[in-house]
Amino acid sequence: METLWLMPAIVCYAISAAIFIFERTSSESTSGQTRATGYAVAMLGGGAIFHALDLTARGLQAGNIPVTNFAQALSFLAWLTALAGLLMIVRLRMAVIGAFVAPAVTIALGAASLTMKARRIVLPATLHSVWLPIHVTLAILGYAMFVLAASVSIVYLAYESRLKSKRALGPANEAAPSLEKLDRINYRLLGWGFIMLSFAIVSGAIWADATWGHFWSWEPKESWSLVIWILYASLLESRLTVGWRGRRAAALTIVLFTVLVGSFVGVNLIFPGKHGGSFG
Amino acid sequence: MDQTLFIVGINHRTAAVAVRERLAFADDEITAALRRLRKASPAVAEAALISTCNRVEVVGVANDAASAARETLAFLAFDRNVEEGAFVEAVYSFEGRDAARHMFRVGASLDSMVVGEPQILGQLKSAYAQAGEAGTVGLVLHRAFHKAFSVAKRVRKGTLIGHGSVSVSSAAVSLAGQIFDRLSDKTVMLMGAGKMAELTARQLKALGIESLLITSRTFDRAVALARELGGTAVPYDSYKPYLKMVDVLIGSVASTKPVLGPEEFESVVRERRYRPMFLIDMGVPRNFDERLNAMRNVYLYDIDDLGAVVQRSIGDREQEAKKAEQIVELELESFLKWMAGLDLIPTIKDIRYSIERLRDVELGRHRGWLAGLDASERERVELLTRGLTNKLLHRILSGLKQRDDKVLDGAFAAEVARRLLGAEFDAADEDEDDADDEIADD
Repeated sequence: METLWLMPAIVCYAISAAIFIFERTSSESTSGQTRATGYAVAMLGGGAIFHALDLTARGLQAGNIPVTNFAQALSFLAWLTALAGLLMIVRLRMAVIGAFVAPAVTIALGAASLTMKARRIVLPATLHSVWLPIHVTLAILGYAMFVLAASVSIVYLAYESRLKSKRALGPANEAAPSLEKLDRINYRLLGWGFIMLSFAIVSGAIWADATWGHFWSWEPKESWSLVIWILYASLLESRLTVGWRGRRAAALTIVLFTVLVGSFVGVNLIFPGKHGGSFG
Repeated sequence: MDQTLFIVGINHRTAAVAVRERLAFADDEITAALRRLRKASPAVAEAALISTCNRVEVVGVANDAASAARETLAFLAFDRNVEEGAFVEAVYSFEGRDAARHMFRVGASLDSMVVGEPQILGQLKSAYAQAGEAGTVGLVLHRAFHKAFSVAKRVRKGTLIGHGSVSVSSAAVSLAGQIFDRLSDKTVMLMGAGKMAELTARQLKALGIESLLITSRTFDRAVALARELGGTAVPYDSYKPYLKMVDVLIGSVASTKPVLGPEEFESVVRERRYRPMFLIDMGVPRNFDERLNAMRNVYLYDIDDLGAVVQRSIGDREQEAKKAEQIVELELESFLKWMAGLDLIPTIKDIRYSIERLRDVELGRHRGWLAGLDASERERVELLTRGLTNKLLHRILSGLKQRDDKVLDGAFAAEVARRLLGAEFDAADEDEDDADDEIADD
């Protein structure tokens, strides 16, 4: 199915990404920079609106939340990431993460759009329940938090290495967030992502029990989610007990994120299981 | 009427402080001095006096700039009781375009010892106010000062000239801001009592640090400084247990070898659970072993590292200064246009404003009985008064714009308007500046 809104959304995201990246690499004056940031944020917001229209159209067609194949799930993840990213850029004055969030969203949606026509899962009537949107939204929201945490961590590592090697930031970056702030935001994002993921797993189990009569069936997605849940739990725990904060926390956040991406792509495309549509 | 702007003066580049201090005026002397200048020098039509630690200059307006400059110098020598020969070599003197450029550059902090430092604009504003009080500000200086203020604002907004740290202590403070989000909940420890370390502690204190520990080999010194800065003195032989609570550690102890090495610091860092720590080493020889910088979430900057930050900021400011010079040149053209009488627009705007204002005042005075009228009658009064002022304005403005065989002098037109419209006209200018301020402060 084609909608009118997908292309404009991708174009807006791409322009936003271009402005954010250009801004990072150039050293314009502050006033110029805030104006450029404004345009980039507006484009990101515009993209999110077009994207929302696209998701709505697909949702109406599916009669439920539009996650009937991998491309749609990826698109939904990109949208939630864009929204959460916008919130961070505006509310937390973290324009710097735009240079990661906007390109990531652009690439994700671009990739999704190429395979949007792929085989869609036809949900059996038994699975059309209120648990579907709850379970899926929680899981994807959790992933969006982890995307943002990884972006913040990349910024952290970049700033940290500049400070360590005495190449402190130039005047154009005086307003850049401090290491402490980046570390705190990373921690919060990980915390929220972990909570979302926990609830996603619990809601999935309840739903499975209601539909199939058992909470857990060790299918690939479930197993991997459990692995990821354990990994993020230990990352959060290490901070509280042995003080793995700052550089180490940022590095581990990025490592865990690559594991997450691997499992998200791998499980969905290679070992679909029940989550991929084989409901046997 | 062919007036020009002129400037004579000395600054930090042309004269040593020994010369500058002899010509300097205290703040409360300036108004009286300007009155004396006007009495002593008939060639000087308007004048203002700028006296700061880095400069003493008179900016004035005269028909014959050369003799006005000469008279002004003679006045300065006489008034400050300094032989003219003692400073004449250091004197610079500009007129016309060059004088206006110099004034704008001063206001934009391009002529300052530390380019981009913000105080000069305030000093220029107070010089303008003092000259106003002395009654030595006329139309040209009035316009020149306001132009200088708006140039300064444009430069500050449009360039990064005021950014970056240009002193070692402010570089340290700025780095602290790049590591820590909030300073209020952090603890600073000052080891030793070097001047620069103390200055850094003071600046951190001013930014909201509440917890300050001070230790020094001489305990009395630590106690005295603690009392002065509002901190707590810690004996030098027992400061180590406190290290684990310290976020910013400033070292300036006189010692031939590092006072803190990685072995003993390892336990400190672990006890802090690797919360970030900023070590500022202002000691020579250095106080902290440089291997500390390699420890997790520890950032160590010694005096050379801080110096490098300062050097880079100065370099950046010089780059920004080039942009600022372009802004000055642009604004200079518009000012000279006005001076040359080609530009009547500011005067026209002022006249329009002052006549509008007169109408408002009159309507305000009759508010009482106007309120008693019904809506259509009130509208007719409104129309009537507006019709009147518009007719009047049209007459005046078309008269101003009329150019027979010669160009009407802008400054002359402004002067005429000022005399005819009096207080309202001056008020118009002030209000315009306020509007500028509001835009600039956004």
